[in-house]
Amino acid sequence: MVKADPMKAGYYILASALFCFTALPVLSVFLYGLFPLSARGDLGSMIFRSLPFLKNSIFIALIVTPASVLIGLAATLAVHRFSSPLNRFFKPVLLLSLIHPPFVGSIAFIMLFGKRGLITHDLLRLDVSPYGWQGIALLQFLGMGSMAYLIISSSVGKTNSHIEAAARNLGIPEGKIFRDITLRTMYPELSSAAILVFLASMADFGTPLIIGGPFQTLASDLYIQITGLYDMRSASVSGILLLIPCIALFTYQRRLNRRKAYYAMALSDGSIRYRHYSRPVRAAALTITLLYTLFIFFKYGFIFVGAFTEHWGYDYTLTLRHLVKVLQKDLSPFVNSVQLAFFTALMASTAGVFLSYAVKRKKWAFLTLSDVLATLPAAVPGILLGIGYLVTFKYPVLGIGRFVLKEFPPFILLGTGIIIYIICIFRYMNVGLRTGYALLEHINPNIEEAARNLGQSENRIFAGVIMPLLSPAFRTSFFKIFSTTMTTLGAIIFLLLPSNKVAVQSIFQIITSSERGVAASMALLLSLTTALMLGFFRLLNYLVTKKRL
Amino acid sequence: MRKLSSFLTILLFLGLLFSCGRKEAETQEKTVAQTEYQGQGWSSPHYREDMAGTVLNLYGVTDKVRPILDVFTEDTGIKVEHLTMKNGEILQRLTHEADSGIVIADLWFTGGADTFIIAGQNGLLLSYESPEGAALDSDMKDPGLYWYGTSLTLVNWVVNKELVEEKGLKMPEIWDDLLQPGLKGQVSMPNPASSGTAYNVVSAVLQTRGEENGWAYLKDLIGQVPFFTARGSDPANMVVNGEAIVGINASNGDRELEINNPHIKLVYPSDGTGWWPQPAAIIKGTKHEEEAKVFIDWIISRRGMETVASSRYAAVARKDVRIPEGIEDITRISLFPTDFQANALEREAILAKWAEYVE
Repeated sequence: MVKADPMKAGYYILASALFCFTALPVLSVFLYGLFPLSARGDLGSMIFRSLPFLKNSIFIALIVTPASVLIGLAATLAVHRFSSPLNRFFKPVLLLSLIHPPFVGSIAFIMLFGKRGLITHDLLRLDVSPYGWQGIALLQFLGMGSMAYLIISSSVGKTNSHIEAAARNLGIPEGKIFRDITLRTMYPELSSAAILVFLASMADFGTPLIIGGPFQTLASDLYIQITGLYDMRSASVSGILLLIPCIALFTYQRRLNRRKAYYAMALSDGSIRYRHYSRPVRAAALTITLLYTLFIFFKYGFIFVGAFTEHWGYDYTLTLRHLVKVLQKDLSPFVNSVQLAFFTALMASTAGVFLSYAVKRKKWAFLTLSDVLATLPAAVPGILLGIGYLVTFKYPVLGIGRFVLKEFPPFILLGTGIIIYIICIFRYMNVGLRTGYALLEHINPNIEEAARNLGQSENRIFAGVIMPLLSPAFRTSFFKIFSTTMTTLGAIIFLLLPSNKVAVQSIFQIITSSERGVAASMALLLSLTTALMLGFFRLLNYLVTKKRL
Repeated sequence: MRKLSSFLTILLFLGLLFSCGRKEAETQEKTVAQTEYQGQGWSSPHYREDMAGTVLNLYGVTDKVRPILDVFTEDTGIKVEHLTMKNGEILQRLTHEADSGIVIADLWFTGGADTFIIAGQNGLLLSYESPEGAALDSDMKDPGLYWYGTSLTLVNWVVNKELVEEKGLKMPEIWDDLLQPGLKGQVSMPNPASSGTAYNVVSAVLQTRGEENGWAYLKDLIGQVPFFTARGSDPANMVVNGEAIVGINASNGDRELEINNPHIKLVYPSDGTGWWPQPAAIIKGTKHEEEAKVFIDWIISRRGMETVASSRYAAVARKDVRIPEGIEDITRISLFPTDFQANALEREAILAKWAEYVE
């Protein structure tokens, strides 16, 4: 007898949607680029041309990933394990870089630390240029360290401090406790953070374009191929090359994580302060975090300065004229942005966390494939995914009509408002998936088993046991996705309609047109909107669950 | 999870419905207006009063066109929604939208002349003979009438005055001034392979100096440039930030960069400079062909050009338009004679040779 299982049905719908909205677009952009094969002769030379860029990409990612994870770890320890009066400063500043559009931050960075930068040139009398790989690595690190912090800090409260206490009672040295217990129990978050940072670094094309100078990565080269050279073929070759290291890393992490268990019997709330700690570790964590947050604080404070002074960087007379100019503009893009970010965060987090549960705990078909497919969009630059949607969904019946049902016009997604929501949901679902995985590693499946043995139905187990346990992952991912969707452009430029523009696109436009004060004000307004919305969700969450985040 | 799955299903379903609605509204009868409409400073044989309220979609490379579009709406009642992308992104979108028969944009206004030429050749644009077109010189419009030039984009140099003084350099005035030893490693220029501005400079230098002298000059110029930027807008930013002293840039002839940045001076080389028209074109397959034609008639009319000139602070393709204050009078700037069709034809050969010199 087959009993209807809504969870299973939900999974299969999600899996087919994943195939349709991630696999098809990525595949078709490759097919579109590589076929017809008549010109295959130069395929080899295209690959050969792209190899130095691939090397650059990997080089940057290999610097940025460990550095960002280290910052994330240091900041997590500093904020949650060592109490210090600096926490009031650390917490908000660490979230700052998540809520402002990255390219405005890059400009502020160049004005502070460039050849004629306020700090490097005017203050320190240095003649250094940040252009090149150093600049890319530093800027990515400044942005992605916060991302790593957000993910790693979600492990706090899931680790069990009693184990540490027990080890301590047995007389094990602090260093060993830290290495073998504290760090090890954080492993799922550390590896999730590492994967997300690596993928984000590989797929980032904005930073190398702004500050790379002669040093360009595969992703930025791909962007130039499309926007400057109008060459889709070589762009899709770059896209394929970009996927190789990402998939390799991904498989490696899966294999590594499979055998280990990181369960905590109880999920405690809030921070667990160390009562005993080694002074050097504490000092190191606090210093690193302080330096990092000061960097971000200066960068962000400088945007603030730019928004309210006459000529950003040259004339610091206070003025409100930029802000007035921004407020006179059509503000509907801001409304569009909030709408898009809200629905994307809601859907992508729900779907991602649900999928993580299915992959870890269920024995349904195509789970590994779904896992790979949900991660795929994170490994390609937004622009490539956007093109993928463009070439796939211009055909009827969700792209399938490319081969059959050619004369079936009613099912074309291109040119509808909904396609933008779909691409954002599938692009950011991996965040929900990764945070979900990290959390599930800590939840002992015995809890479910116990409920099952007590005769609970699967649905009630999910609603009554799993959902409450997974809700922290949902929240982390919701916040991350909401702010990312508010502040990044990448994928949707090919799908936007003239009537539903988003705010970040306007900022991008203004910034290329030398009105930097206006761009800074607009960026500030966008950050403020994002922060207000996040605060609102926090409050809502507090009212509903009566628990602080 | 039931909620999730049903929501997803509803989402998909809605998507399908949406696209249904769009398609059905497509078939539209076209009636040709009998009398030519005469507006204030513009006229169009295609204009009808009942066009008011129609919404046209427009792609372009800058948000600065918004005030122009608003004036158009005031004059005609036709609304225009615009979406801003980069040249290559527009070309990609148009290609695929044409392919699927979903034509989202009706108009394309602003961008590199090279992309319009490519689009015209690939059958993405609608050829239209506007009665106003006669007022434009032949190099201001496409020979196949796929596009008409509106404002002029001029190649200029963005110079960091502060640094020129600090390093005791000669303020560059002619192209050879870029070769002064003090500017070595301080000239910023985009890569001609990915930037229309830089390619225009290269081909203009070759066309005015001749093959041999031209390449000799370019070879010296390459020696002054530390690296070639990916995008046309990068050199200006680098000079504003003090990372370079002179940047090769494209502008409408406006002085905005100078006004926004007191340490910057815009220089138009006195021995001639590159230029191209900012085109406007109708997208083939538009559902609002008549309205789109009204737009073209309007934008190249005196009324339209005056609006372009005053709101973009730009020099324009029509000569019977008063030049607004604050912009360069292009009659005082010597322009390189430029053959756009030849530019497009020789592109690959020139770029190949360029790449050799860079290495």
